[in-house]
Amino acid sequence: MDIIAAYGTAFVILAIIFGLYMTWGIGANDLANAMGTSVGAGAVTLRQAICIAIIFEFSGAVIAGGHVTSTIRKGIIDPSSIVNSPEILVYGMLASLLAAAFWLMVASWKGWPVSTTHSIIGALIGFAIVGIGPDAVIWSKVGSVVGSWVVSPVVGGTISFLLVMSTRKLIFDTDDPLKNAKRYAPCYVFLVGFVISLVTMFKGLKHLKVDLSVPQSFGVAVIIGLITAGIGWYFIRRIEADREADRDFHFASVERVFAPMMLFTACAMAFAHGSNDVANGIGPLAAVVSIVSSGGEVMQKSELPIWILLLGGGGIVLGLITLGYRVMLTVGRKITELTPSRGFCAELAAATTVVIASRTGLPVSTTHILVGSVLGVGLARGIGALDLRVVFNIIVSWLVTLPAGAIMAMLFFFTLKGIFS
Amino acid sequence: MDIKSTTPLSGLFRTSPFKPVQEHMRTIFSCICFLPPLLDALYRKDYQQLAEFAEEIIKLESEADDIKQEFREHLPNTLLLPVDREDLLNLISDQDGLADLTEEIAKTLSYRDMEVPDPIKDLLDELLEGTMEISVAAKDMIERLDELLQVGFRGREQEKVSAMIAGVRRSEHNIDNIMYRIRRRLFECEKDLNPVDAMFWYQLISLIGSISDQAENVADRLLLFLSK
Repeated sequence: MDIIAAYGTAFVILAIIFGLYMTWGIGANDLANAMGTSVGAGAVTLRQAICIAIIFEFSGAVIAGGHVTSTIRKGIIDPSSIVNSPEILVYGMLASLLAAAFWLMVASWKGWPVSTTHSIIGALIGFAIVGIGPDAVIWSKVGSVVGSWVVSPVVGGTISFLLVMSTRKLIFDTDDPLKNAKRYAPCYVFLVGFVISLVTMFKGLKHLKVDLSVPQSFGVAVIIGLITAGIGWYFIRRIEADREADRDFHFASVERVFAPMMLFTACAMAFAHGSNDVANGIGPLAAVVSIVSSGGEVMQKSELPIWILLLGGGGIVLGLITLGYRVMLTVGRKITELTPSRGFCAELAAATTVVIASRTGLPVSTTHILVGSVLGVGLARGIGALDLRVVFNIIVSWLVTLPAGAIMAMLFFFTLKGIFS
Repeated sequence: MDIKSTTPLSGLFRTSPFKPVQEHMRTIFSCICFLPPLLDALYRKDYQQLAEFAEEIIKLESEADDIKQEFREHLPNTLLLPVDREDLLNLISDQDGLADLTEEIAKTLSYRDMEVPDPIKDLLDELLEGTMEISVAAKDMIERLDELLQVGFRGREQEKVSAMIAGVRRSEHNIDNIMYRIRRRLFECEKDLNPVDAMFWYQLISLIGSISDQAENVADRLLLFLSK
């Protein structure tokens, strides 16, 4: 207890610095990847993408980021055996943050496709094993988290497959694709607003002192859906057939309807990303703040303070505007093959999957889910060529990232313990 | 420190294989388009110009070859494609066959300074016209690949392209008929021709006829995309 009392402020400051660094890294890379799809499809300009990211990443973090944060903060490690030495958990959380951030830096430098989520989970497990003991790891929870990494891209792929099929049935494979595109576009946009807000609100806003009943959640989601549909209709109402472009590619005008629709999925992606990935940076920070402010209470019964969510959102936005925009451009330039209609389906599927995971408190990888969703479009025979080596690389990155994060967390843990104790 | 993109996304997308296939077909089509002026030069016995056109054809054929080569090198078997990889490779080599035949015709014509026998002139024109028609049809068919991809090779687009394929088949049948008549005509007048000339004409006509057979092969290959 004395250590917490003596160094409490120092621990919190360190945690804020490490947490900011981590969220900065997430914004510089991870978010940029998620937004790059929209930029690549030519749906939004870089400037628009940054504005969207700032607004929706922030709201995603604050409105829906609590559940995953709670998983990272107290769902993976059971500290009941170290009630009398809470500083162990503080070192561990700091070490995990540092390890994950450091591993991400190495990965960014080398260009490896690692996920922030996997790094932080690996680091937490690593610290818990050496710092407390293998029994302190809540293996059942770890199992469901790791399981979700496999399941979530499959879910994303399935949703996008079905969405692509529906656009064909309703729009492309009809006698007047443009007319049908304009007719159904507001419905698809409605779906974006409705699904994302429904999943978010469904018994999930307690931390904001908003407690909606089930019918109320549905009602508000429908209203939000209708608002987005209205804005969508406003954007596409003037789109006319471009005979010149249609001669070259029969569906050119139809794709033009989907371009403004990707604006909405871009918002949804940023929101989804904020709701899930912000936790990787602020979960451990929240744990440290909770332990210190309660004077050494490891079970962390206190509520998650909103300022931590705000800080996380801020860090991510900072990362995006300092470095992420460049990554966004690079990614965007490489994925021009994704036309607006396919991009819309892939992004809506990915955003939906991520938000569902966030609501369930499962830390998942937004990028991997997006890859799964794009593969879903590919399986619907909708994309020229997708390189499946990427899937192999992702699996390798899992296998490497978990132990790498764990080992580094162990090293940092003993270093911190040596310094302070 | 330089932040590289760690996204697997940029590695996921590869250039659509249909773009080079279409590019290849366009090159081959412009190659075939030199056949009418080539034969026109032959009619006029302007062997100088004939050699120039033959030169153009040979140049375009080698351009098409380069596209095919490049395409093959960039089609690793780890790709998820909407069509069978083998079918795609066979399609481009079938297309290439069209260019090879055209080049063969150009070369054959440049070996000997020939004269077109009057009795076959009208049928030769008809054959040439039919060949151009089927080549246009084959090219238009390949140009529909983008639209097919958009709808997953199903539905209305599939029907449209199936109809185009059927059209190519009909043209080929029509050309078979012309081939029969022109060979009969040649047989009737072969006694008046120098024997070597007669053999040359049989060979040339068979080469021109092969273009339509090859166009039909391309169409049949495309049909495999639709029936997957």
